[in-house]
Amino acid sequence: MRPESRLAVFVVLATVLAGLLAPVLANDRPILARVEGRLAAPALAELPIVGRLFDDPGARVVDWDAPPASLQTGATRVLLMPPVPYSYRGIHLDEALRPPSRSHLMGTDALGRDLLARVLHGASLSLLVGFGATALALLIGFCLGALAVVRGGLFDLLIVRFVDVVACFPPFVLALAFMAALGRTGVWPMVAGIALSRWTTIARYVRGEILRHRGGALWVSARAAGAGGVRLVVRHLLPLLAAPLAVLASFGVANAIVLESGLSFLGFGVSPPTPSWGSILAEARGSLDAAWWPVFFPSAALVIVLASLCAAAESAAPGESRVSRS
Amino acid sequence: MIAFLVRRVLSSVPTLVGISLLTFAVLNLLPNDPIQVWSGGGYYSAEAVEHLRSELRLQQGPAARYASWGLALLRGDLGRSMRDGRPVARVIASALPWTLLLNLCSVILIYGVAVPFGLFGASSPGSIADRLGRALLILLYAVPSFAAALLLQQWFAVRLGWLPLQGVPDRAATAAGTTVALARHLLLPTVCLALSGWALVARYARAAFRSALGREFLAVARAKGLSRLRASGHVVANTAVPFITLLATIVPGLAGGSVIVEQIFSLPGVGRLYLTSIEARDYPVVVGLTLLSAVLVLAGHLLVDVLYLVVDPRIRSGLLDESTDAA
Repeated sequence: MRPESRLAVFVVLATVLAGLLAPVLANDRPILARVEGRLAAPALAELPIVGRLFDDPGARVVDWDAPPASLQTGATRVLLMPPVPYSYRGIHLDEALRPPSRSHLMGTDALGRDLLARVLHGASLSLLVGFGATALALLIGFCLGALAVVRGGLFDLLIVRFVDVVACFPPFVLALAFMAALGRTGVWPMVAGIALSRWTTIARYVRGEILRHRGGALWVSARAAGAGGVRLVVRHLLPLLAAPLAVLASFGVANAIVLESGLSFLGFGVSPPTPSWGSILAEARGSLDAAWWPVFFPSAALVIVLASLCAAAESAAPGESRVSRS
Repeated sequence: MIAFLVRRVLSSVPTLVGISLLTFAVLNLLPNDPIQVWSGGGYYSAEAVEHLRSELRLQQGPAARYASWGLALLRGDLGRSMRDGRPVARVIASALPWTLLLNLCSVILIYGVAVPFGLFGASSPGSIADRLGRALLILLYAVPSFAAALLLQQWFAVRLGWLPLQGVPDRAATAAGTTVALARHLLLPTVCLALSGWALVARYARAAFRSALGREFLAVARAKGLSRLRASGHVVANTAVPFITLLATIVPGLAGGSVIVEQIFSLPGVGRLYLTSIEARDYPVVVGLTLLSAVLVLAGHLLVDVLYLVVDPRIRSGLLDESTDAA
């Protein structure tokens, strides 16, 4: 693996980690605190999935915004704060549009919210939608593509035609139309809308690849050994396709993240307090003439993650790098 | 050639039908009653709801609704806008020139910059300039159009004040002034829309020119005494096909991208119309535009196929043979 692609993979993994751990990395609640004599972890309680384990009703009612002095006395005291001691939703109007400084590394937005905290939290949404929509598109694309070859005949023709039709719609337009028709905005409609417009590439690829194997030695011997259609595809053909599909999927994640941030930018994503890189940029439009940092940092995050995803996918693609290594 | 064209157009008829079916299905069959949405949860009188219901033919079944909608569509009747009652076709027609102009400029800009860039990279592969250029292209490919739009707006319109922030020129200006003003207004949107296409085309251009530059016909042409310029004409002719294929890849992205770019730069094109119609729940216009974008992409594929015939005599003769075989 070349150093550039190792860096790219590292950036992607770091972003995934940052997204998952965002509530611990950037929060105005402490990671560890003593509440009425008991240990509590209010920041950990906001983690996805495992958060419930750390939920403590006593810690929920504490006003962590209170002056530090009052928190350090008595039974309640802060033991460990997150590295970025701000929440993505903590509005401080007196701190509005502060340029990047030591206390706010990326500055603050027009409502005085710390941009670093918002960009970190935005990562979780972008990646959730990016990976979620790609997984869904892979599932739909693989099933339909494989089914077309295994069933063949009229069924194949119908699926090919259907893929042709869906592929005619520009992805962004189709995702918007789907969400408009659904009459709902938010994360899951967005995942469904993006997947709906992204599965055709995968279906075409899977169909073409499996078609090459039909009637071949692998196909005939698996059939002769009594393998049914599902077993043939899943046990014998899927492993062959896994590597190229992973490459397609990384490009797909990059595309889905662009679509997600575009949809969020236009206001079709999550509702306001929750940040997404697209919605942070949309809010930054209001202070375009006063500050550069609300535009620059989310854009930079997007560009770095997207470029890394593309570079990582490219280095894994069969081609120059693979040949030169072996 | 004409026979091929006719066959090609006929073969896209099922796809057209599929496009209309899918558009209709996505926007009409999802569990979302437009009247419920418009009335804001039941503030309309019973008569008004009944009137709207018959206007939208909601009391009929989906198949009957599709049939009557499709028949009207064949006559070019897309219904009327729910906002101002104008025919949808006319609403779209008034916005379409802006989008076509913007996209045409972007395609010209994409190829005008990317092809020389690729040629330069291919003529000095592995040089520092080539490697820097490739890294720059990957980076540019990753800049979403709206992020680029905000950064460019901030720098060129707000900071430096060289270009207008958004909008289109007034009608009052003189003819010569209008062209300049139009160019000034369209420059930033065109660049934003062209960014990702640049990277894509330049990469292909570099690879295609590299393989063409190593081929024997070039040495032969030069040995025969053809000038560098004439010889590079042969190189371009030999690499034209992948560029045309790329056009088919780029166009849907442009169509989607212009939704955002038009919105940011307040250009009154179909992309902006699409968004405002979605926000106003103006379903007839949304349906019409969804249909239009898919049909335009399909027309793009058709155009690409025709361009193949124009640039590559091998394909031309191959297809003509095939059509005479069929006859």
